[in-house]
Amino acid sequence: MKRLGFKLPSAGLFIAVLLAGVFVLLPLGSASEYSFRTPALGPGTYGWDNYAWFVSQPDFGTFITLSLLLAAVAAGITLLVLVPTVVWLNLRGQKLRPLMEFLTLLPLVIPVVALAIGAQTSLPVELQSNQYSLSFFYFVLALPYTYRTLDIGIRAIPLKTLSEAARSLGASQIKVIALVLAPVVRGAVIASVFLTIALSLGEFTLTSLLHWQTFTTWVTVISQSNILGAIALSVFTIVAAFALLLVVGLVSIRTKRRQVTEE
Amino acid sequence: MKKKSTALRLRGVTKSFAGLTALDSLDLDVKPGELVALLGPSGCGKTTALRIVAGLEKADSGKVLVRGEDITELPAHKRHMGMVFQQYSLFPNLTAEENAAFGLRMQGVGGAERKARALELLDLVGLSALAKRYPHEMSGGQQQRVALARALAVEPEVLLLDEPLSALDAKVRTSLREEIRRLQLELGTTTIFVTHDQEEAMAISDRVAVMSRGKIEQIDTPDVLYSNPASSFVASFVGNMNRIPAQFDGKHAHLLGGKAKVSNTDSAAPTSVVALVRPENIRLFKPAHNAKAVADATVLNRSFLGPVSQVTARTADGHVVSALLPTADTGDLHAGDAVAVELLAKQIMIEGSNA
Ligand SMILES: Nc1ncnc2c1ncn2[C@@H]1O[C@H](COP(=O)(O)OP(=O)(O)OP(=O)(O)O)[C@@H](O)[C@H]1O
Ligand SMILES: [Mg+2]
Repeated sequence: MKRLGFKLPSAGLFIAVLLAGVFVLLPLGSASEYSFRTPALGPGTYGWDNYAWFVSQPDFGTFITLSLLLAAVAAGITLLVLVPTVVWLNLRGQKLRPLMEFLTLLPLVIPVVALAIGAQTSLPVELQSNQYSLSFFYFVLALPYTYRTLDIGIRAIPLKTLSEAARSLGASQIKVIALVLAPVVRGAVIASVFLTIALSLGEFTLTSLLHWQTFTTWVTVISQSNILGAIALSVFTIVAAFALLLVVGLVSIRTKRRQVTEE
Repeated sequence: MKKKSTALRLRGVTKSFAGLTALDSLDLDVKPGELVALLGPSGCGKTTALRIVAGLEKADSGKVLVRGEDITELPAHKRHMGMVFQQYSLFPNLTAEENAAFGLRMQGVGGAERKARALELLDLVGLSALAKRYPHEMSGGQQQRVALARALAVEPEVLLLDEPLSALDAKVRTSLREEIRRLQLELGTTTIFVTHDQEEAMAISDRVAVMSRGKIEQIDTPDVLYSNPASSFVASFVGNMNRIPAQFDGKHAHLLGGKAKVSNTDSAAPTSVVALVRPENIRLFKPAHNAKAVADATVLNRSFLGPVSQVTARTADGHVVSALLPTADTGDLHAGDAVAVELLAKQIMIEGSNA
């Protein structure tokens, strides 16, 4: 139930991977080629100059760190607020599900400008001046996707029967959560955390409307002064984001193995 | 003394959901080592009764006692019940062996010991070869066997089975129910088996409790239920029944050219009633060799069931009756043949004709 494998025939799978690969890798490849050009040294020469340029910018490290932190906090909110809510909805809040569906669609329906102004003015003053309030907005913006990912993943699991089975076998409420509920919702939880991180790292509109500076807004500013540098920076961003998600994925697979062999 | 002779006792258990009464002051006594089936139509409260015993549902009033001890207020995880659900309920992240060991793990039994015990139980249900499989790598029948092993591993006070076979196909269902009975006898586990399949209930139970609308109509051994039902509801729910229009004269019902004494005179009684007659109490034969009181009919169909065959026929006044006959006696009965119908029963039950 949780190990959803794609059961495409291998030929179909191959073609799908090939197409996706062409679609993703071709533009990335061209961009990379471009980003390594060094016109200052003459036509047809290649080097790391453009990469060296943006790395040497004084704010580069600051903003990368900040964006990662903001994404991590947003992911944390998803874990601590959304996951328990959806689990609860599936266990005993069935009637509230339509309301939740509606609420979580709002971030898609309400224009970001309205969201920004409304949210900002309704926030307590202390939070308005706290940059980490952005994490909360990222969490909200990701809701339409994260809620659905979680809900679909969790709805497929008979949580009620499983927790009743565990209880009748002598598991206390806490053990039911730790030993049964948490492990079986893992897959859906990881997917929604992924989504939150990806969306947070790439968010631009709301951030700039609220006059905050993060990695994405910094990139747009800095890019205006150096075209090749900007391309190098985008290639770097794509590769780094991909690597980051890969690392998160690998870590979660590792912990799963550990759990299974723990006995 | 009395306390020791009941493993489980329900007294006046009542439960309603939003005004709808699911259990209506239910009483039930189950002896140690006994297998009692709760049998009844959909919605009569079987699952609710079981869930109240398990502590997964709270009764509005009434008591649940285990070996004389009142457990009405005890939470589910302290009750020591083994439950097998209708839906597949194995923990998907654990192997068969880890599933079977779960209850022992909750009791704090050490790793080596619980592993040994889990394997022993998987062996009992014939699945030791699949110990390392995950639930999604097993068939439905195998999953329910593991669920059974998991419930039995903790040596429960009472084993609670809620239609554990209903999601399985007919063949697996029959073999698994035999297996449940064998295990239950072997381990001496007091068991409640919920089902709406009367054949299943009759086949494996020490006693069957027939439920209707939140109450137990009758609880008896399968033989008594079948041969001596307490009400027409029980009579028609247990086993197959012909429902044949009859004339009631206050004492006897007249039908199929014969008559039989009526045992449930409670239906004090219009003259037009419906008689309940078991298929084995009707004989169909080629008319020549008998002069007894009989009715005429035409054979509709004959189905071979092994040593017996089921023959259906339409009587002259248009009612379809079904008879169970030794196959040896049915060789000359073919669709379209004219036959005589004879009522063999001396005693039957009736219902008001509008029923
Ligand atoms: N959680 C609940 N909320 C509301 N009504 C319920 C609930 N559980 C059961 N009921 C109602 O109580 C009655 C008895 O239900 P129960 O599940 O015990 O029936 P059952 O005999 O097990 O039926 P089945 O053979 O279909 O499983 C039914 O009318 C049902 O609709
Ligand atoms: Mg039920």
